[in-house]
Amino acid sequence: MNGWNKTRWLIITLLVVAVYWWAVMGIDFNLHRIIAGLPKGKVILERIFVKSLRYIGGPFFWEMVMEMLKTLAMAYFGTFIASVLTVPFAFLAAVNFSPYARFFKMFLNFIRTFPEILLAIIFVSMVGPGPFAGVLAIGFHSVGMLGKLYAEAVENIDMKPIEAITAAGGNFWQKLIFGVLPQVFPYFASYSIYRFEIAVRSASTVGLVGAGGIGVPLLLKVQGRNWEQVGVIIIVIIITVVIVDYLSAYIRKRIV
Amino acid sequence: MIEFRNVVVVYPNGFKALKGINLHIHEGEFVAIIGPSGAGKSTLIRTINGLVRITEGDLIVEGKHVQKLKDRELRLLRRKIGMIFQSFNLVKRMSVLRNVLVGRLGYVPTLKSLLNLFPKEDVEFALSNLEKVGIRDKAYVRADQLSGGQQQRVAIARALTQQPDIMLADEPVASLDPPTAKVVMDYLKKFNEELKITTLVNLHDVDLAKTYAGRIVGIRAGEIVFDGRPEELTRDILIRIYGKWQES
Repeated sequence: MNGWNKTRWLIITLLVVAVYWWAVMGIDFNLHRIIAGLPKGKVILERIFVKSLRYIGGPFFWEMVMEMLKTLAMAYFGTFIASVLTVPFAFLAAVNFSPYARFFKMFLNFIRTFPEILLAIIFVSMVGPGPFAGVLAIGFHSVGMLGKLYAEAVENIDMKPIEAITAAGGNFWQKLIFGVLPQVFPYFASYSIYRFEIAVRSASTVGLVGAGGIGVPLLLKVQGRNWEQVGVIIIVIIITVVIVDYLSAYIRKRIV
Repeated sequence: MIEFRNVVVVYPNGFKALKGINLHIHEGEFVAIIGPSGAGKSTLIRTINGLVRITEGDLIVEGKHVQKLKDRELRLLRRKIGMIFQSFNLVKRMSVLRNVLVGRLGYVPTLKSLLNLFPKEDVEFALSNLEKVGIRDKAYVRADQLSGGQQQRVAIARALTQQPDIMLADEPVASLDPPTAKVVMDYLKKFNEELKITTLVNLHDVDLAKTYAGRIVGIRAGEIVFDGRPEELTRDILIRIYGKWQES
C-alpha cells in the first residue's frame, strides 16, 4: 500500500467513525442504561408472555377475543369499501382503458403515501373516536394500494375475447361484464383478500390513536403498565393474524 | 351482398394495408382468401364488420355503407355477421354456454344481458347450436378446459347463435392439427350449405382453400391479384400471389 492509499483509508475510517459517533450522541446512546434496564425488561417480558398465560380462558381474555372480532369487522368493512371504490380507479389508471392512466397512477401513489395512523388521527378528528374513524382510515389507505394492483390486473387482460364480443354486436357495458370482468375478477378478489390480511394488522393498531378496535384496550393497558393484560391482547392479536394469513393464502391459491 | 368499391385502408402508423380493393361477394358463396402474411387478409375481412374502418372507397354490406354507420347501426349490422378467429377468442374463465350466449348480446336488452337474464329460447337456441357442433355435453364446462378444436367449435356455435347471414373466419384452423382442422372446415362448409350463410375464410393453406372454397381470392401487398374458381389457381398464379411457390 502506498502513501496516498494509506491516507485515503485513514480519512474514510475517520469519517465513518465520526458518523457513528454523531449518531450515538444524537440518540443519547448509553450502554450503562441498557445494562441497568435489563432486569426490568426481563420482568416486563415475563409478565407479557409468561404470567399473562394465566389469564387465557378467563373473562378478560374472552372480552379481548370479542374486541378482536370487532377489529376484524373493521378490517373487513374498510377493505370492502376500498374494494368497491377502487374499481373505477382501476380502469382509470389502466393504460389500455384510460388516456389519463399516468395521472391516476400518480393520484393512487399519492393516496398511498399517507400513513394509516396519520389518516386515523385525521378521521378521529373529523368523525370522532371509535371504529368508524378506523374503517375510514383503512378504506382510504387501501384504495391507494388496491388501485395499483387492480389496474395492473386490468392491464394484463387478453383483449381478443373482447374483440369477439365487439364482432358479435356487443356494446361497451356488455364488453365490460362479459369480456373484462371474468378476466379481472379473480385477481381483484385475490388482491382484496391480501389487503384484508394487512388491514387486520392496521385495524389492531389504529385504536392506539382512538380509532376503535383492540388497539384501544391495548393503549389503556400499556398506559397502566398492566403487562399481563397487555400480553393477553398481544397473544390474541398474534393468533388472529396467523389464522387470517393462513386462510388468506389458502383462499387466494384457490381462486387465481 | 358484400361489395368493395376501391376500398383503401391506411393504418394510423401510415401503413397502407389495402390499396383499392374491388370485390363482390354474392349470397351463399364460400370464398377463401389466400395470400402471404401481411398481405392484408385480416384487414380485408375485418373491414366487413367494421372492426377496421376503411379510409377511402365504399363498402356495402347487406345494403349498408359500412363506413357511414354510427355506433348503434354498426352493432345491428355486426349481430348478423358471425366471426371466428385463429385463437378462438373465448372468455376462458366463463362456461361454454355463457360464451355461446355472447352471440345473443346484440339481440337482448343490455340490462337483461348484464344480469344474465337471457330468454329461455335464447338459452335453448345456444344449446342447440352446441349440439350442431357436437359438444352439447360440454355446455357447463369452463371454456379453458376444452381442447383447441373444441374451443373453435364453441366459437362456431357462438357465431351461429347470432343467426348470421355472413360468417367471417380469420385463419380459423391455423392453430389446429390437420385432422382437427378438417373437422372445423367441414362444419363451416356444412353451415354454408345448409343455413345459406355466406362465408369468407382467410387461409394460408392453399390445399384447404382448394378443397373447401367455391371461389378463391388471392391478395398480395393489399391488392387482389387473383379472383376465380379453385381449378383456375395454377402454379403461375400461385407464384404471382406468393412471389415464389414450392409444390408441397
